[in-house]
Amino acid sequence: MSWIKEGELNIIERISANVLKAGPMPKHVAFIMDGNRRFAHINNMERQDGHTQGFNKLAETLRWCKHLNIPEVTVYAFSIENFKRTQEEVDGLMDLARQKFERLLEERENLEKHGVCIRVLGDLNLLPLDLQQAIAKAVLATKNHNNDVSETLITECLYSNKSPNPDLLIRTSGEVRLSDFLLWQTSHSCLVFQSVLWPEYSFWNLCEAILQYQLNHKSIQKARELHREHQASLQLEADRLCTAEELQHHGNGKPTDAHTRQEALLHYITCREERVQNFLTALKHKRDLFFHDLCIEATTA
Amino acid sequence: MVMLYGLLWRLLLLLVHVNRALVSWLRVRLQSWKSRLWERAMASLLLPLALAGFPEQQKKLNRTPGADDNPSHANGGPSPRLRYISDGMSLQKLPVHIGFLVTEEEPSYTDIANLVVWCMAVGISYISVYDNHDIFQKNHSRLLKEIERQQRHLMGGDGHPYNVEFLSNGSDKCHNGKKKSKVTIFKFTIPDPELVVKFGPVDSTLGFLPWHIRLTEFIFVPSHRDVSYKDLLGALKLYSSCQQRVGQ
Repeated sequence: MSWIKEGELNIIERISANVLKAGPMPKHVAFIMDGNRRFAHINNMERQDGHTQGFNKLAETLRWCKHLNIPEVTVYAFSIENFKRTQEEVDGLMDLARQKFERLLEERENLEKHGVCIRVLGDLNLLPLDLQQAIAKAVLATKNHNNDVSETLITECLYSNKSPNPDLLIRTSGEVRLSDFLLWQTSHSCLVFQSVLWPEYSFWNLCEAILQYQLNHKSIQKARELHREHQASLQLEADRLCTAEELQHHGNGKPTDAHTRQEALLHYITCREERVQNFLTALKHKRDLFFHDLCIEATTA
Repeated sequence: MVMLYGLLWRLLLLLVHVNRALVSWLRVRLQSWKSRLWERAMASLLLPLALAGFPEQQKKLNRTPGADDNPSHANGGPSPRLRYISDGMSLQKLPVHIGFLVTEEEPSYTDIANLVVWCMAVGISYISVYDNHDIFQKNHSRLLKEIERQQRHLMGGDGHPYNVEFLSNGSDKCHNGKKKSKVTIFKFTIPDPELVVKFGPVDSTLGFLPWHIRLTEFIFVPSHRDVSYKDLLGALKLYSSCQQRVGQ
């Protein structure tokens, strides 16, 4: 099954989407796609079929997000804890992933047409090598597909410094936990827990979640602002402390005037920001190199 | 056309607010014993209509305001202390560390103090209280006094003090160091909270212990004002019945 489900919304869906879009819309939605196995059990299917249905639902959800102009989507597909499952199930999931990433490369032109850019986060070293290579190819192939109305798909979870924090986190199947997903990034997100199982997720469930986001929007914005201000003041305090210590160290016992202190503070802040930027650039370079190396390995193998 | 959708959106929001107000009004009415029979009949007829709306939130507790179910007010029978302890032991599992996240503006010290005392009595070792404006952090001595007062009021006798920790935004993150090369990391010896009860209408953790809530269950209670022991026990019962697969 394809990654991109073609098709427009029907008239009622389109009207509802337009009504929702009149309010504040989340720019980044995260999904914890829970409930595949329970769905399979209820419908007397194999677990693996439940996961396949889950993937189909993902493709459909991406289509809805595109119609709702949500530019970025993160999904929690597999975690380190999931390796504890039976070997059969883990192998099944790896096979599914392999299939889908290979399909992705086949659909490259279609992805380019829709502006889909894929990023994968997490410790990929834990995955089978051929899957790592398939992922690397997919990531590099879609790297430059970023345009203003682009979707980003992320299939493992860890910190990403390129994407903004999710505005809205949706967890299906009724569980009310975060299960280690983007803990840091969702501290000021709107959390919506829905009891529907993931393979049964509907356009209306998504609308319901977005509506809840809109109802909470103002209070969460306020809380975020407060948090940002608090962080900024903590940072300034820390900077001042460091500057004072440095002045003490390098000074010669003479008291410093306000002007000198201010200059030293600004200088310290500039240096700190430069260090942080260098670190982030080095990290990005390391990540890019990792994917390039995997691709080269794959082509020479 | 855009204006029309804008109007429709505002109308939709208004409908949801009205629906929510109606549902919480009906909940109070249905559970209040003082309500007259015809009022209850009307309410039960209207409730399905109101509840047909949305959003439906899992694990939302029905509040029981005014219900005088505090064990310490029971006439005769075992001492209140024993009653609390037996309630705690009757649950399949009890959290070692519970968190109360208050998203409402202007939290009430008395109600939080009550919750803390009940938690201690039931056998929970660590209780975290969090609000977005650091009100409890800034006024923790006041809260502590209130806890002592409520302890005397609810338990009657003496109570041994438990560890009440005050958390605020940023207290759990590592503070970037005094010197460029040194980073101070605070190590917490208390376990992660297994259960967080969120009070208030905001659907967010608002920065509460982000690194410690990876496996925490969330239970939602509409308001912490006039919260009763029964509400707390209900939340604990819900928690004890939930199953965690931890990836398996």
